Amino acid sequence: MVLTPMALAPKTFNAGETVRVTVSFSYTVGINTTVRLLAGPYYTNIFGKHMVDPCVGRADVSLPAVSTPIPQTADVDFMLIPKSLGGIENGTYGLRVWVEGTNAVAEQDSVIIVTGNTGGGGGDMFTSMMPMLMMVMMLGMIMPMTQQMGAEAEEE
Amino acid sequence: MELKTLALDLGLIGVLQDGITSLAAGWYIDPRTGMRVFYDPNTQNFYTMAGGVYIPLGYMNPAPKQVSIGPGEKLKITISYKYSGPAISGAMERFCIGVYGTFGFNETLVGENTRSLPASTTPLSYTGSYTFTIPTNVGADWDDIYCKIYGGSPGVPQTLFGYENALIIVGKDPAISEFTIVDFAKV
Repeated sequence: MVLTPMALAPKTFNAGETVRVTVSFSYTVGINTTVRLLAGPYYTNIFGKHMVDPCVGRADVSLPAVSTPIPQTADVDFMLIPKSLGGIENGTYGLRVWVEGTNAVAEQDSVIIVTGNTGGGGGDMFTSMMPMLMMVMMLGMIMPMTQQMGAEAEEE
Repeated sequence: MELKTLALDLGLIGVLQDGITSLAAGWYIDPRTGMRVFYDPNTQNFYTMAGGVYIPLGYMNPAPKQVSIGPGEKLKITISYKYSGPAISGAMERFCIGVYGTFGFNETLVGENTRSLPASTTPLSYTGSYTFTIPTNVGADWDDIYCKIYGGSPGVPQTLFGYENALIIVGKDPAISEFTIVDFAKV
């Protein structure tokens, strides 16, 4: 499936609020069936895109059998569970929606701005900088050891 | 469910009487394609040359359109042809859905009509049709169709015509396209 550019404007939400996402699509299916629609926020770091799993919402959508593609719309809700309850931190997130078991997926970066979490802000930035900080710490441990070994060699 | 239809034109067919061939052996030009073809009265087949050998002229063609269809739906295939010659009784119109591949056409759904053709000195037009009900166990690759006329007394020469990839079989798994986010908002 080709992802097409979308023009969703960023919106600000408070932690604890519920977001309703509306999607449109065309489908064909040989028998009456039900698919699961999922939606949620994601963040991006140097390792790629990651869903904020506690905030992913689900909805079952019934698809009557039809052999000629017909348009369909569906809604799915998800809650921005506050950080204090193991959910999302303040920050800017992308929005992804997909249909389980199919190649139907749509997403857009930086459209969900989360505020309202009290205390512990900036956690998302810390997560993204964590690998770099670990490398600096390791270098900080190794450099004194190598300098010490070099000094001992000069003394001999 | 909606009734879907396909139409095939078998073109002009000649008469084959016992002991008499309608065409002499030799090269002909297919008026529809301009292709040079060789007719062998012994096998009653047209051949074309490819890679230094003569191969039977293909009867399968690219489909001019595709029809989406799923289990429980009905597909009506309509053929047309012209015939001139003596009266024929018991000619068969055969309609097939199946899989066309390297080893020929694997007929998975078959329907037949018995047809009597009156004597005529000029080509007269005829049509025939058959309606299939697509079964629940339809395969995703049952997307080819072909039709033929054969048999009867005296017999008509077997005439075949088919379309590859004429059907889009809609299976049990949904196919989703144009999936986009329309809007998102606080509830």
